[in-house]
Amino acid sequence: MNDWQRKSPLDWEVYVNKMVKVAAIEKHEYEGWVLTVDPVSASIVLATFLENEKVSISVVLGHAVQEVEILKEGDEEMKQRLSCIFAPEESKAYSPEEEEKRKNALKTWLEKNHIPVTEQGESGRTLCVAGVLTIDPPYGPEECSSSNEIILSRVQGLIQGYLEKQQ
Amino acid sequence: PPPGATMLVGVLRLPRGPDGCSRGFSPTSPRFQALLGGDTVAAQGARAALRQRYLRGLAAARGRPTQFCLRAGVRVDAVFGAADVEAVAFQVDALRTPLGVQAAALLRCTDVLAYSFLL
Repeated sequence: MNDWQRKSPLDWEVYVNKMVKVAAIEKHEYEGWVLTVDPVSASIVLATFLENEKVSISVVLGHAVQEVEILKEGDEEMKQRLSCIFAPEESKAYSPEEEEKRKNALKTWLEKNHIPVTEQGESGRTLCVAGVLTIDPPYGPEECSSSNEIILSRVQGLIQGYLEKQQ
Repeated sequence: PPPGATMLVGVLRLPRGPDGCSRGFSPTSPRFQALLGGDTVAAQGARAALRQRYLRGLAAARGRPTQFCLRAGVRVDAVFGAADVEAVAFQVDALRTPLGVQAAALLRCTDVLAYSFLL
């Protein structure tokens, strides 16, 4: 474990949204905007904007990092741009009423199938299934989150089937 | 006893553990602090945010032609498949090697210095 890997998440967070130069072992060097640092492997994810509107992503593995130098700080516009790079695709937008209808229809269907579901979060827009899985608007399989892979996979399958029957 | 009647049972109390709190793992115990390195709530929040962005990055890499920079100046091209939870290995498809193209392969994380792909 090197010094970089030994840092705390709060230390790594400082580098996010900064332009850095990473010196790696075997004399490799990488430059780019820091998107994130993986807390498990301390790997640094860098973004470089190319001429043709494309973005090049480089990941330097934590164990290979020797030194990280901050070159400059990103402004608000850059921070926005960086946060959008890995953002999940925009799904079809539903009006608040449509969203509420979808939520209630799904909640009713889950309850009919004896699956415990509650509403939570601000304005109750998030559904919580059995206390271990959450579903955000617009309540499709992609919007399910859980730390249990098996439950996640099962519920995603159920919702997929439910949505297909609706068509 | 007749059904429905309550029965009194003796409560078995376990001896107190070395950390004082005998309900098991105490988050304030010196042992737990040493294990976690004193990670505060703020640190945990930062850890979660950083990890989520990283996982979204891995999802974005999936299926894309990627160049891996290995040790001793070796570079190989492949299609990014997946990474495991503990950062032990990467799974790739269509790995181009001097011996030909491997349909599927695992690259050990310790052998990889860096990798890059285009979005």
